[in-house]
Amino acid sequence: MRERPVASLSGVARTYGGVPVLDDVSLDIDPGVTAVIGPNGSGKSTLLGLLTGAVEPTTGTVEHPGATGPKPIGYLPQRVPFRDGFTARETLAFYARLVDDDPDAALDRVGLRDAGDRRVEALSGGMRRLLGIAQAVLGDPSLVVLDEPASGLDPGMRERAFHAAAECADGDTAVVVSSHALDLVDAHADRVVILRRGRVAAAGPLERLLDEHDASTVSELYRVVTGSSGAQTAVADSGAVGNTNGEGGNGDDSEPDVHVTGVSDR
Amino acid sequence: MSGRLSAVATVFRRELATVVRTPGYGVLAVGLLVVLGGLLAAGGGGATGFVPAVVDLLFPTEVLVPLAGVVLGYRALLTDSASGELAVIRTYPVRIGEYVAGVVLARLAALGAAVGVPYAVVGVAVWLTAAPDTGIFATHAGVDSPLLYVRFLAFVLLLGGAYVSLAAAVSALAASRRSAIALGTLALVAGVLGGDLVLLRSLAAGASPSTVPASLALTPNGAFRGLVFEHVIGVAFAPEGGFVSTTRAVGSLVGWTLLGAVVAGTTLAYGGRVDAVVERVRGGIGE
Repeated sequence: MRERPVASLSGVARTYGGVPVLDDVSLDIDPGVTAVIGPNGSGKSTLLGLLTGAVEPTTGTVEHPGATGPKPIGYLPQRVPFRDGFTARETLAFYARLVDDDPDAALDRVGLRDAGDRRVEALSGGMRRLLGIAQAVLGDPSLVVLDEPASGLDPGMRERAFHAAAECADGDTAVVVSSHALDLVDAHADRVVILRRGRVAAAGPLERLLDEHDASTVSELYRVVTGSSGAQTAVADSGAVGNTNGEGGNGDDSEPDVHVTGVSDR
Repeated sequence: MSGRLSAVATVFRRELATVVRTPGYGVLAVGLLVVLGGLLAAGGGGATGFVPAVVDLLFPTEVLVPLAGVVLGYRALLTDSASGELAVIRTYPVRIGEYVAGVVLARLAALGAAVGVPYAVVGVAVWLTAAPDTGIFATHAGVDSPLLYVRFLAFVLLLGGAYVSLAAAVSALAASRRSAIALGTLALVAGVLGGDLVLLRSLAAGASPSTVPASLALTPNGAFRGLVFEHVIGVAFAPEGGFVSTTRAVGSLVGWTLLGAVVAGTTLAYGGRVDAVVERVRGGIGE
């Protein structure tokens, strides 16, 4: 018998100003690393916000049957939000006190112990993201949601951020990561959800999706399913293009109008 | 410490640290001290005693303290919600009520420092420099006393607390810093002038002057003014006050403070759901 999922979305839709950003999304999130990929404006940040409760669905339900403990969910938004004026250690200490965790151990986990006394505004973009990951895993949550943890980082830092995220995933913990870094998705993801224009275009275990779409890499799979180039989005991920307002755009209108609606992992 | 108190204390410490590290609030306190000193020097009341000093400060206080309260509170809850950090905090075992309580209490503590200290310094200066002997602690009416000034200071902090809390509500309702400034200004003008204008209008419309004490206590500024007349200025000049009901006025100031916190908490707790409902209705209309 299959164990209950950590999180479950059923028929979820979300609109902003009447414009649909996500539509008819049904997914189960199981332990392991789930990567959410898709073009800019496809609904990735909104999906992750729905998973954490930061965004209310317009219709549908979001449940967390397998997310337990004093802090069931850990969350790193796309824009790392910590207050200026506090050091990295002080920032983590605030959150750690809320769940009786150790901020220094959290800094160690992401390799930031030496930067603990630096103010948040003095940290590089990569260090801020690592600090955000350290915050998200405080309290040992069952569901860790990281919105583009590798965005805008150099190759070494991207790998480090993804590695830190993937390390959290174990038999009981689900890590959901949105990213344009398809090479890292290839290396670390157990399952993939591909969004296109607010709908789930494909979802499931990575190996199965690769077989079904006759693709050898996630980049190929991405191209086949979305009809756009993963290489282009990887460039966007380098920091030249930022999706500053989460989601809400209409995606790339130059893409072929191919909708694969209602496809989900269930 | 229980989990709930611990969460409030943790949020309180962070908020207080933020206030302490914001130089603008220190400037606010120094500026307030300079203005109060200037008003006393210009009015001359400070050289005579506590009650004359209070008379000099009363009406400027009705503008300065609400202004300081709004400055301290108008971004209190906006900062975390606008940056997205509130969404992170909500994944921790902290209820919205606990979060709002921690933030508002820290801002009230900041009010105690930024407003209370300048007023206390002014009081000490009056004590040291006033020409008549002001060292007598009054036990009956008709005598100027430091205790009267302490009462005045307590009423000042109650007034400021109401505005801090109302400004915090504004900060929860505002979508941006600009809208927070606009809403805060509106709340300030409505609070400082609105109550009196409504009262005058009701008198002009034929309301009985006997209703004034009760009506006066309903607004923060009216309640403050009534309390100062009743328990500070009136003590020195009139054995029988009757300016305002003390219970009603104190209740009004505490009530406005609680109302601000409740509105702030409700907005943060249910704002997202209301937004989703509005979207649902909009979708239903569009179909």
